[in-house]
This record gives sequence, structure tokens and C-alpha cells, in this order.
Amino acid sequence: MSDTAALVKIEGLHKSYGGVIKVLQGLDIEMKAGDRVVVIGPSGGGKSTLLRVLMGLEQIDSGSILFSGKPYISANGSGKTVIDAKVRRSIGMVFQHYTLFPHLDVIGNLILAPTKVRGESKAVARERAMALLTRFGLAAKANAYPAQLSGGQKQRVAIARALMLDPKLMLFDEVTSALDPELVAEVEQVILQLAQQQMPMVIVTHDMWFAKNIASRVIFCAGGVVVEDGPPEQVLGDPKEERTREFIERVFHIKH
Amino acid sequence: MMSFNFAIVLKFQEALLLGLWTTLKLTLICIVLGCVLGFLLALARASKSAILRGVSGVYVEFFRGTPVLVQLFWIFFCLPLILGVELSNMASGIIALTLYMGAISSETFRASLKSVGREQLDACVALGLSPWVRTTSVVLPQAVLRAAPTLLSNCVSLFKESALVSAVGMADLMFVGQNISNNTARPVEVLTVVALIYFVIAFPLTRAVTVVEQRILKRLAV
Repeated sequence: MSDTAALVKIEGLHKSYGGVIKVLQGLDIEMKAGDRVVVIGPSGGGKSTLLRVLMGLEQIDSGSILFSGKPYISANGSGKTVIDAKVRRSIGMVFQHYTLFPHLDVIGNLILAPTKVRGESKAVARERAMALLTRFGLAAKANAYPAQLSGGQKQRVAIARALMLDPKLMLFDEVTSALDPELVAEVEQVILQLAQQQMPMVIVTHDMWFAKNIASRVIFCAGGVVVEDGPPEQVLGDPKEERTREFIERVFHIKH
Repeated sequence: MMSFNFAIVLKFQEALLLGLWTTLKLTLICIVLGCVLGFLLALARASKSAILRGVSGVYVEFFRGTPVLVQLFWIFFCLPLILGVELSNMASGIIALTLYMGAISSETFRASLKSVGREQLDACVALGLSPWVRTTSVVLPQAVLRAAPTLLSNCVSLFKESALVSAVGMADLMFVGQNISNNTARPVEVLTVVALIYFVIAFPLTRAVTVVEQRILKRLAV
């Protein structure tokens, strides 16, 4: 593996539901270790499905994904999806609806995976968890239950929970879409903080301001294919493709 | 003219307490074993294997759809013949009520398992949790919490249904009460007291169901 090997290499990715509803129709994406990719596009265009496939949550029809040059996901001849569970553990994901474990307090949510998956001692995991919570301004909430938190707090806890496993890639699936507008900033702030630390990430969002500020690269996805792929200034500011332009105009409410 | 004489019951308080102890022991053992069985049955009914689903489904429907009394007779008189071993009254009682509790609690668990959403399972995969950790640390605790109020009702039912073991000669509270009532010819007084003893234990539990329900709903409202 050379230094220039892509962090993620997606080739010919096809995914359908029951062979009828074709969601991804031949995606090719190569992502470098320094990339912060924001995926935008119309609903049903395959953005979230792409993230779910990357997390190993979905079966695929054909194609393959390499992670740091190693085989991660592929479809074998008989239509079965083969996922390397070890590679999967180096990827973290945050979902739109938080998906915290409601029966555990904040600390409990953070240390579950490290203690159960990596066999880390509770004391060590708790210490790391407290450090993360302090960094995210949540130290006071360590013993609160998810039901006692605001949406913004829940989502920051969810991010901290994923970071406990030291992921090499983070996936954010519309993580601010379910939040009240005044809570969006605190979550985006945390993600920007991660970006400054060079954490590779793929973000699906409808928030164009956020996309512009965090992306090193924007991919416009529609109809299950990559329509346009480039730096944010170009894709968001001066798109080449007609479909991208239409979409951008609609979400920014601009008429040129 | 007939008059009530509740004082007579006092003479038998030791016998009644002994009977109550048997009832409580039997009920508690069957609650624990029955809940374990019920949870496993609920997992089997939600499993991918058609055989597991079929067998567990038939089991549950059979035990829910037949009188407990008949099940008791069956275990007490037929099971020793089939197994070829003598079973003590207590052992037969435990087997019979555990099988029954397993069936009714499995329905409770089934509903609560369904309420643990797909998204929770996605989160487990994203965190790299093994199927075992997922079941024991995420699904089971949530299912038990959500099932708790109904489960508590199931327990109260079992406590009352356990009186049926008196019909096959187990010396539980009901059996002792019937004996005293036969010997003293004071069925009204004795059986009223027996009913009161059942009520004194069952009533706080049924009240607790409401309290537990509210607290859990608050905790799990995410």
C-alpha cells in the first residue's frame, strides 16, 4: 500500500431494493485521507443509502469498496454481500435520529462499545469518555439519561460515542435535520472541530452553509449516480452540470 | 340463624402461613424460570428459522388456549408416565406453572422486542457490537424495561392462578384453606380470609404496575 492509496475506493456500486427500486446505479468515488466530503442532492437520490452502505448496514447488488487499499465490501457471485467486520470497526457513524441507547446514561452509552468490543477496562473507558464529554461541553450531563437531554445534546453525545472507538472515518447522515434551528449550531461546531483535527468524514446534509464551511469536496448525487464532484466553491458556487445548477438554485432560492 | 365466626380462622394461622409460604415459593420460582423461558420463546418467535418460529408459535398458542387446570393435570399425571420417574408435587407444580408463565410472558416480551426499533440495531452495527452483546446489553434491557408493567400483571395473574395446584393435592394456601374449611364447616369465614390474603399481596402489585409504567415511559421516551 503506497502513501497515495485512497482511504475509500468505491467502484461500480449498485444497490436496489428487491431489484425493482434502483437506489445506487453505478457509483465510483475515490476519497483521500484528507478529504471532507459533503454529499448533497435531492431526496431519494441515494445519499443516505450511500452512507449506510459505507457503514456496512446494507446489502449491495454489485460493486466493491476498498478501505485503505484493503477489501471492505463486495458482492460475490451469488448475490451475497461480503463485509469485513474488522474494517467496519474503523468507521463511525452518526444518525439523524440520535439512536442513543435510552436505557443507559450518557457515560454508559459512551463506554458500552469500548468495554464490550475492545475489552477496555471500565475505568480507562470512563476516563476517556469524560475527557470527550468535557471537550464537547457535556461533562455535567455524564449521568443524565438521553430522555433528559435536548436534541443538540443528544447528537453531541452520539458523536462522542462514535469517537470512543477512534474511527479512521466518520459518517454523518443528516445529523442536524431533526434538530430545532437554534440547536443546529452547537452540533455543527463539534463537527467543525473534528474537521480541524483532520478527521476524514463523509457528510450528508441539506444545510448548504454548513456544506460550504466544512467541505473540502462536494459531491452532487442524483438518480443514484454522481452528477458532479469538485471543490465546494465550484459545485456550490458555479456548477458545471445543469442538474446541479437547478438543485443549487432551488435550495438557495437564487435565480441567476 | 347462622352467625359468622372469624375467630376460628386464627386457630389455623400457622397452617395458613405455611400454605402461603408454599404459594409464594412456587410463584416466585415460576416467575423467574417462566420469564427466562418466555424471553427465549419470544426470540424464537422472531427468529429467521421457520422451524423455531413454528415450534414456539404452536407451544405458545397451545398453552394460552387451554385451561391451566387441564395443563396441571397433564403434568401431574401424564408427565411421570412419559418420563418414567416420580415427580414430587412441588416439582410438577413448578414445571406446569413455568410452562404456563413462559407462554404468557413470551407474548409480553414479543411486543416489547418489536418496540426496540431498527435504528437501535443499526447503531449496534455501527458500534461494532457482536450479536451477543447486542442482545444482552441493548435489546434485552430495553425489552425488559418496556415489558415490565405487563410482566408485573402477568406475575399477579400467575400468583392467583397458582391456587389451581390445590386441585392436584399441593399444600398451597388454597389447599390449606379448603382443608380447614372442610374440617370446620366454616367455608365462608375461612375462604374469605384466604381471599383477603391473596388480595393483600396482589393489590399493591397491581398498583405498582401503574407507577412503574409511568416511570419507564418517561425514561424511554426518546
